[in-house]
Amino acid sequence: MSSLTRTGDDRLYWRAQGERNRGLMGLFAVVAAFLALYAYLFPGLLSVAGVSKFAQSWLPLALVAMAQAILMLTGGISLAIGATVSLGAVIAATTMSGYFGVAGGIVAVSASGLAIGALCGVIAIRLRLPAIIVTLAASFIIGGLALLILPRPGGAIPGWFSDLLAGNTPAALGLVFLVALLWKLYLATPLGLSLYAAGENPVGAYRAGVPVDAARIAAYAISGLLSTLAGLFIAAQTGSGDPVIGQAFTLNSIAAAVLGGVGFLGGRGTMRGAIAGSLLLSVMINVMFFLGFPPVAQYVAQGLIIIGAVALPQLTARFRRRP
Amino acid sequence: MRKSMMKAAVSALCIGLFTCIGLVTEANAAAKCIKGDRKAPYTIGWANIYSVPTWMKQTEGTIAAEVEELKKKGLVDKLVITDAQGDANVQIQQIQSMIDADVDAIILIAGSSTAPARVVADACAKGIAVINFDSLVDTDEVTAKINTDSNEWGDTAAKWLIAELGGKGKILVLNGPAGISVSDDRRKGANAALAANPGIEILAETNTAYNVAPAQETVTSLLFAHPEINGILSLGGALSAGAILAMDKQGRPMVPITGENARQFLELWKEKDLKSWATMQPNWLGAFATYTAVQALEGKDVPAFVKVPLPVIDNSNIDGYLARAKDFPADGYIFSPYDQKLFDELLAAK
Repeated sequence: MSSLTRTGDDRLYWRAQGERNRGLMGLFAVVAAFLALYAYLFPGLLSVAGVSKFAQSWLPLALVAMAQAILMLTGGISLAIGATVSLGAVIAATTMSGYFGVAGGIVAVSASGLAIGALCGVIAIRLRLPAIIVTLAASFIIGGLALLILPRPGGAIPGWFSDLLAGNTPAALGLVFLVALLWKLYLATPLGLSLYAAGENPVGAYRAGVPVDAARIAAYAISGLLSTLAGLFIAAQTGSGDPVIGQAFTLNSIAAAVLGGVGFLGGRGTMRGAIAGSLLLSVMINVMFFLGFPPVAQYVAQGLIIIGAVALPQLTARFRRRP
Repeated sequence: MRKSMMKAAVSALCIGLFTCIGLVTEANAAAKCIKGDRKAPYTIGWANIYSVPTWMKQTEGTIAAEVEELKKKGLVDKLVITDAQGDANVQIQQIQSMIDADVDAIILIAGSSTAPARVVADACAKGIAVINFDSLVDTDEVTAKINTDSNEWGDTAAKWLIAELGGKGKILVLNGPAGISVSDDRRKGANAALAANPGIEILAETNTAYNVAPAQETVTSLLFAHPEINGILSLGGALSAGAILAMDKQGRPMVPITGENARQFLELWKEKDLKSWATMQPNWLGAFATYTAVQALEGKDVPAFVKVPLPVIDNSNIDGYLARAKDFPADGYIFSPYDQKLFDELLAAK
């Protein structure tokens, strides 16, 4: 009996996954095409050093795309991601070469990310305030904190730690897989399971006994953690801290998540989509460089590619629906 | 015995001298990062942080013009341009792409004074000539850095304003964006002079982008709060023009103000008949960086740091600048003329 139910569950699971993937096939195809084009234009990509360097420039964007996607899945959003990345970077650059060392720095960065995220979550969820306003205000406070800690670019990261994360090894690529795996594990926990339900139909989920508020606040905390970790990686990659380094990530994280099919209204989208979205945004920059586009044309091409990637699944769905 | 010792000593001295000379010529032979394996015509990469501001467009104009000159001489065959759209992370990625594409030289305005340090060192290690100008990176792993002195900028501006006010008065301080080395350095440069003159009271400080509109907006609100202002220490860009427009709108009397060679500011200065002081971050630093990169690639030694002097624009010579105003965009900067002779002199100065 129990084994029968499990097969039924499994079938449901794979059907749900298949359903979620279908909308993403177009995006995956576009990403694969761009990667292939990049490898054609720059054959050096297909070497350990090539993959390593590319993964290093992609990883921070992948992390913030996930930080944004987890919030959007619960129906939230954050405008504080960029500032939180900056804060993570300056905390890493000011603690790691001090008394507590690299381990202490990682703890400080993680703890501050979790705390800031949870605090934003509690304020937005418990007080029923619009996430966009709460996180906008938070972005000023967090950005100010980063400038207080490090008024101008500086600080230092031990050389061996920089080389470990951002040397000539594909450590960054490994980290992407690790975080994706942890996400899968998180989705198997009670809070993780509640995430989609809390986003798609909060009232129904609440009546069914799902801890909606807890799931949402946890999402904010994890989002904060991913953002400060992105900052930590940037600090390691650059060997220093910069109090305004994260600014562009707020908008880019939203762009990557939306490109990846994550909806603004909650409950719709997948993490693999958001990761693919960030990969497209990142590889696009390099492809346009190797195609020799002048900067002005790059602005235009970037916009066209984003619209195209978003429109493609819609067009294929419409095409498929036709008899 | 003694003779042979003398001989040995002399020959040792000779050998020593020769080695020294050898070392010196070797040190002179090539600038930092240069390995001598790259041959003309060269590919130049221009890693810009943000191409939209007028100052950047004008700077890019001087780079393109210089590349055309060098093409005619057969020294350069290609200019590759990237625009990081203000994002220091994207700039790192683009410099990495330039390394991957194996350009011969990278000229760079950094979006962060620390972030590109590692990727720039990678480029240097690959024998690519790296010339960093305007916004500098905290690393020695470059062929050369070219800039004016931001500390001196702030110091000279503050001293002029203090002298103009007779050491006593209430002032506003207008800064560039927070967290950026250039604006921080200019402000720090002003510190000593301000501290030495306790009669100068700072009413308020602002941090805005180096553009007219944001400066005008913040100064407008400050004017409501402060009925008496005797002077404005504006530390660059088009901030001064914004301040003058704000005061003009409210009918406030004009006060001594410092600034930069922005055309709009210089024209307002003349129009309102102000007593002012300005200096210049020359746009031709771009052309100069390009020229320096090619000089280094050609095996010439170039100094690790080239300090470009800051000129003074005041009521005695402003007409000279305004006479050439029509050659520059309305929201641009009126920079001084330049030629190869000037570049050679700057490179020769130690």
